Amino acid sequence: MTRKTKITDTQNYFSLLGLPVSFDIDKKRLNENYHELQKTVHPDKFANASDRERLLSVQKAAQINDALQTLKNPLQRSIYLLSLFGIELSENDTAVDPEFLMEQMELREALSQIEDRADPMAALDNILDDVKYRIKAAVSNLQTLFQQILDEDIAEDEQNKLLAEAKAQVLKMQFLNRLQEEAMNKEEDLANQL
Amino acid sequence: MALLQISEPGQSSAPHQHKLAAGIDLGTTNSLVATVRSGLAETIPDAQGRHLLPSVVQFLGKNEDGYQTVVGYEAQENAVNDPTNTIVSAKRYMGRGLEDIKEHSVYEFIQDEDSKVPRIRTVAGDVSAVEVSAEILKALKQRAEEALGGDLSGVVITVPAYFDDAQRQATKDAATLAGLNVLRLINEPTAAAVAYGLDSGNEGVHIIYDLGGGTFDISILKLTQGVFEVMSTAGDSSLGGDDLDQVIVNWIMEQAGIESPSATLQRQLHDKAKAAKEALSEQDSTLIDIDIDLDDGRNWQGELNLEQFEKLIKPVIRKTIAPCRRALRDASIDVDDIEDVVMVGGSTRVPLVRQMVGEFFETEPLVDIDPDKVVAIGAARQADVLVGNKSDDEMLLLDVTPLSLGLETMGGLVEKVIHRNTTIPVARAQDFTTFKDGQTAMAIHVLQGERELVSDCRSLARFELRGIPPMVAGAARIRVTFQIDADGLLSVSAREETSGVESSIQVKPSYGLSDTEIETMLKDSFSHAKDDMEARKLKEEQVEAMRVVEAIQAALQEDGDKLLSAQERDNIQQAIDELTKVAQGDEQRAIKQKIEEVDKVTAEFAQRRMDASINKALAGHSVDEITEGSK
Repeated sequence: MTRKTKITDTQNYFSLLGLPVSFDIDKKRLNENYHELQKTVHPDKFANASDRERLLSVQKAAQINDALQTLKNPLQRSIYLLSLFGIELSENDTAVDPEFLMEQMELREALSQIEDRADPMAALDNILDDVKYRIKAAVSNLQTLFQQILDEDIAEDEQNKLLAEAKAQVLKMQFLNRLQEEAMNKEEDLANQL
Repeated sequence: MALLQISEPGQSSAPHQHKLAAGIDLGTTNSLVATVRSGLAETIPDAQGRHLLPSVVQFLGKNEDGYQTVVGYEAQENAVNDPTNTIVSAKRYMGRGLEDIKEHSVYEFIQDEDSKVPRIRTVAGDVSAVEVSAEILKALKQRAEEALGGDLSGVVITVPAYFDDAQRQATKDAATLAGLNVLRLINEPTAAAVAYGLDSGNEGVHIIYDLGGGTFDISILKLTQGVFEVMSTAGDSSLGGDDLDQVIVNWIMEQAGIESPSATLQRQLHDKAKAAKEALSEQDSTLIDIDIDLDDGRNWQGELNLEQFEKLIKPVIRKTIAPCRRALRDASIDVDDIEDVVMVGGSTRVPLVRQMVGEFFETEPLVDIDPDKVVAIGAARQADVLVGNKSDDEMLLLDVTPLSLGLETMGGLVEKVIHRNTTIPVARAQDFTTFKDGQTAMAIHVLQGERELVSDCRSLARFELRGIPPMVAGAARIRVTFQIDADGLLSVSAREETSGVESSIQVKPSYGLSDTEIETMLKDSFSHAKDDMEARKLKEEQVEAMRVVEAIQAALQEDGDKLLSAQERDNIQQAIDELTKVAQGDEQRAIKQKIEEVDKVTAEFAQRRMDASINKALAGHSVDEITEGSK
């Protein structure tokens, strides 16, 4: 199964954007490097080039855009880091602890009944704040986990154990993100009804 | 010692030759053309000094030279007397199917079985919105070429940011019919930001609120050191100033007791409503005078005051606020983060629009730029850069796709592959599998929109992947790749991974003209159809050959020594020498074939140049970074 991998050797989205492989991202540098790269490869710079170069430029610019999107977002970044260790998430990965699932169901139920509340907007704000807080906690948890996972001196067994933990955390975060999106859709609907 | 000049990769280092380029704002009610002259971007007026060209085309007839038309102000004046042959607001019908054209229209729309595109019946024959737009583009092309004294090398045409794939493709088709080389389609609010941002050099987050004649866009952009990055965009591609006119028309009809107006009366009602709207942007009340006899032979006069007017239009303007909210959310910014709000489009002259937008964004909107011209001026600047006149320019536009793209899956649901507000160009793959044992074909249905149900999204295209080897259900791996290019246009390819069966299409939208239809239209526009078509094709191929030769020579000059062996360099040189020779002849097919050969010979070189430039892009930084890292 998973071997302790020296992922820094291979070409990946981090190296493409000139950053070290890490959960912690220097956002300023990420954006600056992204701009530098797009100034070089964007199709607008190849409007007069040969068809071959124009095609390459579209492909490369698309890849760099994808790299930015992946690294910018903590959840996408975590999924990508896991994939560098050969861990892929699949649709069947729903093994999350029951307690967490209960919480999720409660939040979801509260969300579905929000219109019946005396002040739906205020109730929704509470849910959004709650979800936001949980996401923040999940991000900080992932940050700690990946710091340990990417430590050069980590033992293989320990790394595998932490990777499994990170994967479980990522699955939870997917739930939370979906919930947040639904809550925001609701917020938009409510605001537009006013 | 002479210093060697080295230019940026990808840009021509050939002797500087100023090329003629223009930016075109193809609007619902008015269109404009602009160009950069002596470093200054300005709109080009007609012989009478008028900058706007009303987007109105009157069809008079058809002969061997194509349609006989009157375009612009004159057509607008004739609209009242010849309403069914005079097409206004054709942009509303671009890339649209018959069932989309719900609004009450004076035109007789028809659709025959051979085409997916509705056409309007006129004395000159049945015309599509694409052909109407092509007539407007031809008029602008002629205006620009007369003013600049030469042929245009290329143009940038603006489209509403919220235009879908079918509407963008239709716009490009219109340009093809008008004989224009499209360098890029850019979004109207982005063009406005370019015109505005470069003037003021403002860094930060800008809102562009663009309410045109028939479309509404809201874009949120971040400007950092010459990079215009669109953070989000939202809108409504069938909401605009026309709708403000319509509520006034409805009001007059109600007041005057008009029930089923004739085409002529409808035209006058619209003209008077528009005049009333414009008057009420500056005064508190206005008189409306309908001088065409109504059913019972009488005329009608009435007065509309500002308070009544604002009550009428408020619901329409309110419709623009929901997209504003969505754009803010998608960009994850708060009202506090906004530097300023820029108003674009003639309809933003209505004071209530400014007031309501100002209240929503908690910022007094900027109105110091002519809202009619700003889009064309931005487009002209971008055209000037793309055509290669400004080689040292640091400006870069990073735009987004306005609508999510997805595929139909079991149960009539849409699986999203690319989400709205993703930066373009973008390529993304999604894997699918078979549903039944032994299934050998798969229908792929591409949709655009935000909703979960297929029936609520816009159908863009359908195609079939055939020849999947029979396997048990769920064993096949079909990878569908979506690519959206820098014009916002989509192409889709599908591949069965275990067998390598491949199918790819340039998405021809469900409501688009087919290649054959465009070919026929092009032929129709030449007097001695066949000869002229051949001549035009040959000329285009020759121009293309010269473009290829120039591009490769420039590349060789820059990187030939660094990236190629002497042998490789000789091979490339030989190939382009041969192409140059063939291009002087009159064999269009031979030139085309030679271009393809040159493409193959230079493939490896192109790849090396791309890799080298990427390495170089970040290399400038690495010195600092290493020092920083070792501290």
